[in-house]
Amino acid sequence: MMTYIVFILSVIFVVSFVGFSSKPSPIYGGLVLIVSGGVGCGIIMNFGGSFLGLMVFLIYLGGMLVVFGYTTAMATEQYPEVWVSNTTVMGVFLLGLLMEVMLVLYVLKSEEVGVVFKFSGVGDWAIYDTGDSGVFSEEIMGVAALYSYGVWVVIVTGWSLLVGVLVILEVTRGD
Amino acid sequence: MNPLIFTTILMTVLLGTMIVMMSSHWLMIWIGFEMNLLAIIPILMKKYNPRTMEASTKYFLTQATASMLLMMAIIINLMHSGQWTITKVFNPTASIIMTSALAMKLGLTPFHFWVPEVTQGISLTSGLILLTWQKLAPMSILYQISPSINLNILLTMAVLSILVGGWGGLNQTQLRKIMAYSSIAHMGWMTAVLVYNPTLTMLNMLIYIMMTLTMFMLFIHSSSTTTLSLSHTWNKTPLITTLILITLLSMGGLPPLSGFMPKWMIIQELTKNSSIILPTLMAIMALLNLYFYMRLTYSTSLTMFPSTNNMKMKWQFETKRITLLPPLIVMSSLLLPLTPMLSILD
Repeated sequence: MMTYIVFILSVIFVVSFVGFSSKPSPIYGGLVLIVSGGVGCGIIMNFGGSFLGLMVFLIYLGGMLVVFGYTTAMATEQYPEVWVSNTTVMGVFLLGLLMEVMLVLYVLKSEEVGVVFKFSGVGDWAIYDTGDSGVFSEEIMGVAALYSYGVWVVIVTGWSLLVGVLVILEVTRGD
Repeated sequence: MNPLIFTTILMTVLLGTMIVMMSSHWLMIWIGFEMNLLAIIPILMKKYNPRTMEASTKYFLTQATASMLLMMAIIINLMHSGQWTITKVFNPTASIIMTSALAMKLGLTPFHFWVPEVTQGISLTSGLILLTWQKLAPMSILYQISPSINLNILLTMAVLSILVGGWGGLNQTQLRKIMAYSSIAHMGWMTAVLVYNPTLTMLNMLIYIMMTLTMFMLFIHSSSTTTLSLSHTWNKTPLITTLILITLLSMGGLPPLSGFMPKWMIIQELTKNSSIILPTLMAIMALLNLYFYMRLTYSTSLTMFPSTNNMKMKWQFETKRITLLPPLIVMSSLLLPLTPMLSILD
């Protein structure tokens, strides 16, 4: 099972994505987001990225999703929709599950599990041992490189988030 | 809308397109498209009635789907080539998906259904930004991946777009829908020559933007959104009426005006590449476009359109001052003698 652990985790990942994109009430969407966040963290850890997995749990689940949960709890309705309450939601969920089952069967049958998670030229995050200042992990170096070589990406994403807030406020303001 | 917020959001639309046009990393291009989409939604919704909200929702859904397809094509390209640089897309699957995604963003057939509905639901100024500025970013990406685009798919979409743009516009009296179908047809002309000579695509884009800008400015000046309303301009500003005539005929591609230049160059380039039937079909279908432009000029400038006597005086608030209207009109009608200058584009 351990050789296929990334495959199993990614199947659970896709199933939970299907769970919230079939649009039950946002509370239940947040529930499967927690599951998908945890499972995604597991996938990243299997490639050796312990720092990024920790970031997922702390910042994504522990920061953003908590705020999302509080705002949804303020705006929720009396009888929120579950997957089994509405025929449409259940139908979309079952359809997504069916697609995923067919994809899994195809991948397993053609013995090509590698195609799901191996891109060409990309492997695990390498670990360097330079000897003088200790062990470097490539993935933490990547995060550091984001703030040095990739300053433009930080500026663009920061500006996008700011404009996102402005746009949402403008759209919901009304007349 | 608060002027400061409006300026910020408008500048973000510009920034999004700039990021798309000058990035060398596929992810940054995708970020640029998303920034562009996000920031143009409140501009489309400037007036808060259900119609603009419906139009913005339709625009958001189609463009978000196109961005998702673009991201899928980027990931497949990464999987097979291992790098994120903008070059031609080597994998045929990724190339087809990317072409479809960019066609959805441009409004080419069979993804053209959102263009008339979205353009009709929003104000004239927003429609202007939608039909001119928003076409720049996808066209620049098509230009950059043009060596690897599947010719059959692109030419099919182009020819069908010219057909749909011509035929669909025949039954319209609303000016914004007419401009939307005109946009679909012009996008068809632009993408037809993309694989043969991408410089002509850029030339067509430039002249199309100038002509569409002029037309929208003339509509904004006379505050008219229907053919009936446009037909009353002879009473208020006869000069605008004449200019509408000239610009519409230029959009139709008639010879001594500048709209003829891209069509002539495109047909010449296609025949140089030994396809005769295709440019013949395209030229014949452009006649459908010309028909509804002619109908607009007939009702506006050439005849006094029938209306009741008390509607003959056009009532509006003080005349809007449109910047750059005279240079735009001159450029969109008199550029044809400059055609030999195209040799500097190499």
